[in-house]
Amino acid sequence: MAMRQTPLTCSGHTRPVVDLAFSGITPYGYFLISACKDGKPMLRQGDTGDWIGTFLGHKGAVWGATLNKDATKAATAAADFTAKVWDAVSGDELMTLAHKHIVKTVDFTQDSNYLLTGGQDKLLRIYDLNKPEAEPKEISGHTSGIKKALWCSEDKQILSADDKTVRLWDHATMTEVKSLNFNMSVSSMEYIPEGEILVITYGRSIAFHSAVSLDPIKSFEAPATINSASLHPEKEFLVAGGEDFKLYKYDYNSGEELESYKGHFGPIHCVRFSPDGELYASGSEDGTLRLWQTVVGKTYGLWKCVLPEEDSGELAKPKIGFPETAEEELEEIASENSDSIYSSTPEVKA
Amino acid sequence: MQTPLTIPVPVLRLPRGPDGLSRGFAPDGRRAPLKPEVPGIQECPIAQESAESQEQRARANLRERYLRSLLAMVGRQVSFTLHEGVHVAAHFGATDLDVANFYVSQLQTPIGVQAEALLRCSDIISYTFKP
Repeated sequence: MAMRQTPLTCSGHTRPVVDLAFSGITPYGYFLISACKDGKPMLRQGDTGDWIGTFLGHKGAVWGATLNKDATKAATAAADFTAKVWDAVSGDELMTLAHKHIVKTVDFTQDSNYLLTGGQDKLLRIYDLNKPEAEPKEISGHTSGIKKALWCSEDKQILSADDKTVRLWDHATMTEVKSLNFNMSVSSMEYIPEGEILVITYGRSIAFHSAVSLDPIKSFEAPATINSASLHPEKEFLVAGGEDFKLYKYDYNSGEELESYKGHFGPIHCVRFSPDGELYASGSEDGTLRLWQTVVGKTYGLWKCVLPEEDSGELAKPKIGFPETAEEELEEIASENSDSIYSSTPEVKA
Repeated sequence: MQTPLTIPVPVLRLPRGPDGLSRGFAPDGRRAPLKPEVPGIQECPIAQESAESQEQRARANLRERYLRSLLAMVGRQVSFTLHEGVHVAAHFGATDLDVANFYVSQLQTPIGVQAEALLRCSDIISYTFKP
């Protein structure tokens, strides 16, 4: 019996979720932070979506959020012209870094010693987190607001995206190494360290470039405008979501569309694979985050697979020879007896 | 084409949401560090107290003024500016304890007049009324 994807909806935000990030894998599992226009970024347990805490302090929409590798620190970028660094264990605010305009993006180095920020003032800033009072180093060059800035090549280089360009900078010399131009607005960027791959989305395209040379590797076209895409850690799949409220999953090697899911009630703004690749999270205009299984039907986190042969009454065993049973009746049988407490909105492949 | 028969993947439970009372980060959570007792820094405790109590008095004052402004609004026509450039008007009724929701009546919306409604305060950018 084929299994159908049951997304886990994480509620709590009251306005659109515009950014999300996973930590690395820590001895306590991995964690997820979500940035929301309600100004209250939240920390959740990555594999279950359980809420852990809310970072309180920003006075405007939070546009970007990130966690350091071991999820001990969080950083957020907000419309109140500040970026903040937080203790992700206690929820306390550690630092407020004043900027001259809306801050859109934040990223920690691998050792958590430096924070990269970027925003509407078109400047990249590098803060030494061990010397918060010191002035940050600034890199100028962008001619429109910076949407995303990321450390790459073991923090020796910086990748930044504004509306129409993606630029590569050398950290030591603070100069531009290379740039890519687009005639459509760049909506998102993801950096995959293993393999030095850069995932860029613009229009309906999902493009993969070398993070070292910026040379194009391949690109796919989706059925609708895509706002964010993420490549699986093992580079077997990629997921993407955008303006048609749907999530698409593609085979990275062949470009074949494997699955697609409806479920969100608004455009999808961000989507990311978990560090172990077992699930991916999507954030939407509808104010929710949803967790989706990479392999539908696998037992992981809150998803519990029950094989038909070994069910102990948790799933009703469909009787053999039931050609006249409608799918709705089967759903009812399944939902009455299983742990699935979701109302079944049909979420089959379009 | 007949849709293949499928069973939704069962889940143990839904993800837990915010408790609505605190900001979380439970001290008894798995990652809670042992908080070392910070020795009280007793420099000029009296001066500190005075600055603190001054601030506390100012805050209490502002709070009282705000609560009185809410009382003055009862029964009046109030204009609300919401997100995404939406403007609505209504008769103000009451607010709840945390001022998280405004209970209003005769809410004039772009799609008609709602007899009774609850406006979420997080959706309100500003409101104005004439006393």
